[in-house]
Amino acid sequence: MSTTIQLFVTCIIDMLYPEVGEAVVKVLQRAGVTVEFPAGQTCCGQPAFNAGMRAQARPIAMHTIRVFEKTQGHVIVPSGSCAAMIRHGYPELFAEDEEWLPRARLLAERTFELTEYLVDQLGVTDLGARFPGKLTYHASCHLLRDLGVNSQPRALLSGVREAELVELPYTTECCGFGGVFSVEHPEISTAMLERKIANIEASEAPLVVSCDGGCITNINGGLRRQGKPQRAVHIAEILAQADNER
Amino acid sequence: MPDTFHEQIRTALDNPTLQMALDGNAERRLKALNQAFATLPENREALRQRAHAVRAHTIAHLDHYLDQFIANAQANGLIVHQAVNAQEAVGIVLQIARGAHSKVVAKSKSMVSEEIHLNHALEAAGFNPVETDLGEYIIQLRGEPPAHIITPAVHLTRTQVGKTFAEKLDIPFTEDIPTLTATARKVLRRTFLEAGLGLSGVNFGVAETGTLTLVTNEGNGRMCTTLPPLHVALMGIERLVPTLDDLALMLYLLPRSATGQKLSVYTSLIHSPRRPGELDGPDERHLVLVDNGRRAMRQSPLMEGLYCIRCGACLNACPVFREIGGHAYQAVDGRITPYPGPIGSVVSPGLFGVPEFGHLARASSLCGACKEACPVDIDLPKLLLRVRAAGADLEGYKKTSGLSTQDKAGTQPSVKLRSHVPLGMRLSLRGFAWIASSPALFSMAQRLAGFFSRIISPRSEWLRLPRFTGWGYSKDFPRPTTRPFHERFATLAAVPSANEYRAIPAQPTGQFEPAAETKPVSHEALVDRFCEELTVLGGAARRCTVNELAGGLLEDLNDLGITALQAWDEEHFPAGLIPALRLGGILVQATPDPTLRAGLTGALAGIAETGTLVLPGGGGRPQTASLLPEIHFAVLRQTDLVQTLVEALRLPGLRDFPTIVLVSGPSRTADIEMTLTIGVHGPRELRVFIV
Repeated sequence: MSTTIQLFVTCIIDMLYPEVGEAVVKVLQRAGVTVEFPAGQTCCGQPAFNAGMRAQARPIAMHTIRVFEKTQGHVIVPSGSCAAMIRHGYPELFAEDEEWLPRARLLAERTFELTEYLVDQLGVTDLGARFPGKLTYHASCHLLRDLGVNSQPRALLSGVREAELVELPYTTECCGFGGVFSVEHPEISTAMLERKIANIEASEAPLVVSCDGGCITNINGGLRRQGKPQRAVHIAEILAQADNER
Repeated sequence: MPDTFHEQIRTALDNPTLQMALDGNAERRLKALNQAFATLPENREALRQRAHAVRAHTIAHLDHYLDQFIANAQANGLIVHQAVNAQEAVGIVLQIARGAHSKVVAKSKSMVSEEIHLNHALEAAGFNPVETDLGEYIIQLRGEPPAHIITPAVHLTRTQVGKTFAEKLDIPFTEDIPTLTATARKVLRRTFLEAGLGLSGVNFGVAETGTLTLVTNEGNGRMCTTLPPLHVALMGIERLVPTLDDLALMLYLLPRSATGQKLSVYTSLIHSPRRPGELDGPDERHLVLVDNGRRAMRQSPLMEGLYCIRCGACLNACPVFREIGGHAYQAVDGRITPYPGPIGSVVSPGLFGVPEFGHLARASSLCGACKEACPVDIDLPKLLLRVRAAGADLEGYKKTSGLSTQDKAGTQPSVKLRSHVPLGMRLSLRGFAWIASSPALFSMAQRLAGFFSRIISPRSEWLRLPRFTGWGYSKDFPRPTTRPFHERFATLAAVPSANEYRAIPAQPTGQFEPAAETKPVSHEALVDRFCEELTVLGGAARRCTVNELAGGLLEDLNDLGITALQAWDEEHFPAGLIPALRLGGILVQATPDPTLRAGLTGALAGIAETGTLVLPGGGGRPQTASLLPEIHFAVLRQTDLVQTLVEALRLPGLRDFPTIVLVSGPSRTADIEMTLTIGVHGPRELRVFIV
């Protein structure tokens, strides 16, 4: 009897990294889960919420709640900040709305970030993945501090065969993304990103693994602009590298 | 977004000296904080949650505790004033100051005084307010506002301080921090002795006892509250705790979070003015309770911001503060707020108006490092988001909340009520909200993005966006796909479950540890611990019998060439000690005299876990004996040792002393380049004889 989950792929992965979405599906299926993808899903509404535009964030959140209300089972989000938005942002957004608050809470309760779900709910830390090479791990802010998820992705990466996991210096420091912050305050965002890039270089790993599409876009955007060889990748891309693949 | 704010940010980022100072601050402070928390007898998280609960309870019942506190403070002999706004607070202080014998006002650190712009008002009225905290003194000489709530001169190097001192104090230029500190000691000693009025802040007011608690390292707080004939304490109405036990909890957290110390050098518990027949202490103590927007903030969604205990840990943890420093946190009209950093971006708009200060909350990546560092677990990201929500819709927010939309001085709103969201972002997000609420539109927009991005960037998978977009400032952007994931999902081949995967029991993710049991400890172990802690703080401990005491003291005094000292009355020492000293040729007096090099005190108790002496005042125990001289000798009975601060604050009759000071080592500062320097205003040496 296999478990069925609902995938909320997030707008960033949908539009910028569809191959990450494919890797997420593969990882979940390898963990023995049936993946459903509710049609009509768009964005969680975090950009408007973070900008302070709650009147604009609410209709997007309502849309997302409606899409997943029609489904059953856990909602899995391969991004720490989007999962945190649903778990903590939605109840805040509808705090004074008698109709929508319970609906928001119901969705919040069944929503999990990908690695959190794999490790805490399924009890899986070894997916038979194989990745020859050095990796380092960037602890994304919302994942780490808002969801309290840190040991889970690390345990999953430790389970990857042939991968050498090295510690990223100051891994818990923000990469400077912060959503709308990165475009509203590019100067500060840049200064923060430079510190992150210097630490990535110091780790000597060619790949930095993250569980958030926002951090990946930010870190890669800076690495690419500066002509650096390192890249940020989503954890699912590593976990999907299995040795029985043809 | 006000241009001045952006300008300040750029200026800060382009200032290499500031960048170095801020990096040093962030790294050292966080390291010190973590080390200090490692020494707690209890799990840090459990303490934080308890502290959060205490603060939440206090703010929820603020009027009750305020009434209780005022009644007790009055019963202790304090003259209590209440000020609704800055103007009233300033008026009250000026009124009191006019009764002083001298125009010199000695000020120890008070954030409320910064908030109400007291120095300006005092100067305008012909007074000479002198900041006596070394960091505050430096920036006062330079005519700058503080750059940090704990380390006001964090942005300056020793060279800059040296130049300032050479210019303003007419001394030869030096970069030597001990020399600079000694200069300040000398100059400010005069201020303390001349001042007609001593001004201080209050770290905590204790409702059940009416106690004013003041935490300092240099000793200037003790000077300002002991030497001038008038003392005025300024306190925000929210800085209360219900009980002395709650105070102990806060004192476990505040110094550790602020400076990485287990306890600050001086923790003063102040109850009453000088009583008849006493040798020191002010004739009058006034307490000015300042609202200045706090009651309104308490009714607003930003209420949790009032839980703050002003430790500055969130500033030190904040990656944005680390880049831009305290002076960049400016109002729309360029006024610098006294409260910078994450908590400042909540408290400043909360107290002084969202239209003026709300944009500060937008300069945050919401990374949550502030919440993690906060000793009372204030949900700062949540509050920053609430400030943003208020700033995005000022008109609407004004109608539905108690948040200030006008200057608390009672003037008209100084800025137009215009959304803080930049126009471009506002329009884009409105469009985005419309599109993202409709799957069909969303899909179409994705197609268009995929299509147009290929026209802009046909060959590369990266887009170089123009600078004005913000993103293009320093980053490339990945080219959107033409086949989004939602179009691909249906075509994905199912991957079989990996039958070889092994399920390893997940590691527990909880971080709670059981609180350590407090075991009964032998006197011997308490003495050992006390000596160890005191030595770490730079003090000296010596064990001896009662019979050896006088000999030991005389030996020390002879070595130092000291022939006179200020001491507590005879009855507070083991019998025969004072006569023996006199017989040994030492002139012993109780009256304060700034020329005396040594002071001798007993102690009510010693706290083993922090190497702290508990020194009461009154009843023939002049506070000046442990404050004015260079060298402080103390006699502590080993039977008076307790293990913890909580036990010390539970000692019976504490409230009956006019003042009590907890002394943890010799006076110290780290205000210049965070370099530890011993001996600022208080004693440079502390020698404890344990009998």
